[in-house]
Amino acid sequence: MPLMRHSNEVREMAGELGKYKLCVSARSADKAILKKAQDGGIVTQLFKFALEEGIIDGAIVAGPGDEPWRPRPFIATTVEELMSSSGTKYNISPQVSWIKEATRSFGLDKIGIVGTPCQMQAVRKGQLYPVGLRDVPDKIKLAIGIFCMENFSYQSVKQLVEDHAAMKMEAVKKMEIGKGKFWVYGQRGQVVQLPLKVTHKYEQPGCHVCLDYVANLADVSTGSVGSPDGWSTVFVRTRNGDDIWSKAIAAGCFETKPIEQVKPGLELVTKLATEKITKNQKTVEERAKFGVNKGLRNPYLGPK
Amino acid sequence: MWNYTGIAKRTREYHEAIILSKIVEISPTTRHEGHSKLVLKVDDAGIVERGDWLSITPVRGVEKLAIGKTMDQVPKIASRVCGICPIAHTLAGIESMEGSIRCEIPKDAKLLRIILQCANRLHSIALHNILILPDFYLPGTDTKINPFSPQEPVRSVAKRIQRLREIGQTIGQIAGGEAVHPSNPRVGGMYKACTQQAKTKMYDLAKEGLVLAHEQMDLMLAIINNMKKRDWVEVGGKQIPLPKTLGYHNQGYMAAHPVYASSNLDECPGWDPKRWTDVRPWDWYMGEGEVSLADPSYPIGGTSPVGTKVNPQMEACTGVPLYDGAPVEVGPRARLVTFKNFDEKGTWGQHIARQLEYTDSLYAMINALDEYNPNGKVLADHIPQGDGSLGWAANEAPRGCDVHLAKVKDGRVLYYEMLVPTTWNFPTCSRALTGAPWQVAEMVVRGYDPCVSCATHMIVVDEDKRIVAQKLIK
Repeated sequence: MPLMRHSNEVREMAGELGKYKLCVSARSADKAILKKAQDGGIVTQLFKFALEEGIIDGAIVAGPGDEPWRPRPFIATTVEELMSSSGTKYNISPQVSWIKEATRSFGLDKIGIVGTPCQMQAVRKGQLYPVGLRDVPDKIKLAIGIFCMENFSYQSVKQLVEDHAAMKMEAVKKMEIGKGKFWVYGQRGQVVQLPLKVTHKYEQPGCHVCLDYVANLADVSTGSVGSPDGWSTVFVRTRNGDDIWSKAIAAGCFETKPIEQVKPGLELVTKLATEKITKNQKTVEERAKFGVNKGLRNPYLGPK
Repeated sequence: MWNYTGIAKRTREYHEAIILSKIVEISPTTRHEGHSKLVLKVDDAGIVERGDWLSITPVRGVEKLAIGKTMDQVPKIASRVCGICPIAHTLAGIESMEGSIRCEIPKDAKLLRIILQCANRLHSIALHNILILPDFYLPGTDTKINPFSPQEPVRSVAKRIQRLREIGQTIGQIAGGEAVHPSNPRVGGMYKACTQQAKTKMYDLAKEGLVLAHEQMDLMLAIINNMKKRDWVEVGGKQIPLPKTLGYHNQGYMAAHPVYASSNLDECPGWDPKRWTDVRPWDWYMGEGEVSLADPSYPIGGTSPVGTKVNPQMEACTGVPLYDGAPVEVGPRARLVTFKNFDEKGTWGQHIARQLEYTDSLYAMINALDEYNPNGKVLADHIPQGDGSLGWAANEAPRGCDVHLAKVKDGRVLYYEMLVPTTWNFPTCSRALTGAPWQVAEMVVRGYDPCVSCATHMIVVDEDKRIVAQKLIK
């Protein structure tokens, strides 16, 4: 299969995985990060490295919010602040809304940002057409994308956890989507698994027109899918991403394995990406016929 | 009964206007913000006997738009009248609202506003340098300065000016949210405090700016002082004599504060609304006339051709505000005269005063940064909604005292008025044109660093502050 050939050359991939220079399975070499991380601690480790090396002077991460498991965009300028934000929270954190503020009252010149594929699209669009983002585009120095099938509102996650999994939000230690299930781990050791089918009705409808699973526009994108437990699949996509990633590797920040040698590998990533895109493409087409003689515009195409 | 005096007076005016005096019109004037023109009545030698400098930018009607809007919206709308000193308009607008609702803001919010104000002033002075330099000569030569020339020493001066502007705008952006129309100030204080990191960055930039500002100020002072010694200046290929009294006038000065602003909440307010009145332009400017002198070689397309009809009374798009019944000068010199015993007169004095404010603005900024506490509160605990009483704020914008007046009731604006710097300067500058060759009249205008578009307002009030005239669409 063309996906499995050499890992260090730029490949024109099938649309579903976007363009990338390199794909590996990786995890942080830092035990403290791994302990708190969702999977391989890639985002936390890469931002930590970039902060320490002065590649960025702050990163917009999904920090702890006012309610348990409710993230809020947070500008981390120290490793401690970064560490307090690690782990996935399965609901919305409007990361891009802070990108300008980071350059203003926070006085940052070199910003890192982590976000879902749609947020990476927004960042790139903002860089291309900086309407309302005066002097921001050139300050974005590292954009890390995370794999995303769909997202939930906070109320939805709360309902899944409190009603379906019968657990208080503050009692949850970790949430995870994997192996076809939504997993909720309690502080006291209880584990609840919900079939993904149950979660579907709680998904944001807006996510159903998204045709990007692996954050095609990020500098580096990462997610658990395709790698063994405790490891993450990493796509290094841009020249800038490659530069930072190779410096981080040289500094011994990550353990890596060739993606070809891990199970389930890129085949699963491709499968899920294809599923998402095929399913959502249908929604886009259906929406075009929505209503009488009007329909909703395909967000990926310009107005006619 | 015949009114002999009246007839004699009219005959004399007619005689002067038609027989002796000639009218020349420079339209539009260049190298300043907005659209304005000069209508000059000159004698045989080309010396201005009476000059009218007037705004021809269409009236905006912001004061009318403001009515019924919330007190948070209006300063943001008002700041859109201009892109050069929107920071002054935002701050004056907000502080006039705070004056009306009687809201005191926390100290750190005030400090951020001072930093923002000084950043704006720094950038504005640097921009003005670019606009006036083509009027000046390289000291010791007869070569006029082209700030866009790739030749040294001009290129490094231009680069320094751009860096000063960049520093001003970046600091404004951090403290105010945006360099042009600041988003951070709000009624009651500021939306966001700046972090320690942001404070450090502003401090570093201000320190860098201070060195450059000293160099730039020294250079500009050398250039201006050289100009003072010159006897002639070249305009449109001709050598025009340069009077030693260029831009002199006998009007007063008005400044509310040496650096920042004053409002009705101050213990000793720096401005008094009771001393302000307005005159309608048709009672102030010259009446109908016809251009009788033209010079096609005058820079940028020549003056208006002979036969062009002029009517400053009806064309002017500003009211004429008076302080103690007379026009006043506002701006850097007014500040220095009022607060620092500055005594240089005329156009050169104005330029010198402006250069002196380069370093003043940076020192004020550095002092404010020293005092600023990033962990401090920047929003008042309680923001009253207003009972309709009058509040005003007189902000010292780069080009002069920018007074906004407002009445707020239940959070809504009942009344709003903007008396912006160049509105004050229009009649004063018109008086200062007298006695100069008409070819150098634009140099006098540029001395005021005019910002015409925000000066274009047309609500005229009488002594009792009743609206006696308004012109929204011309």
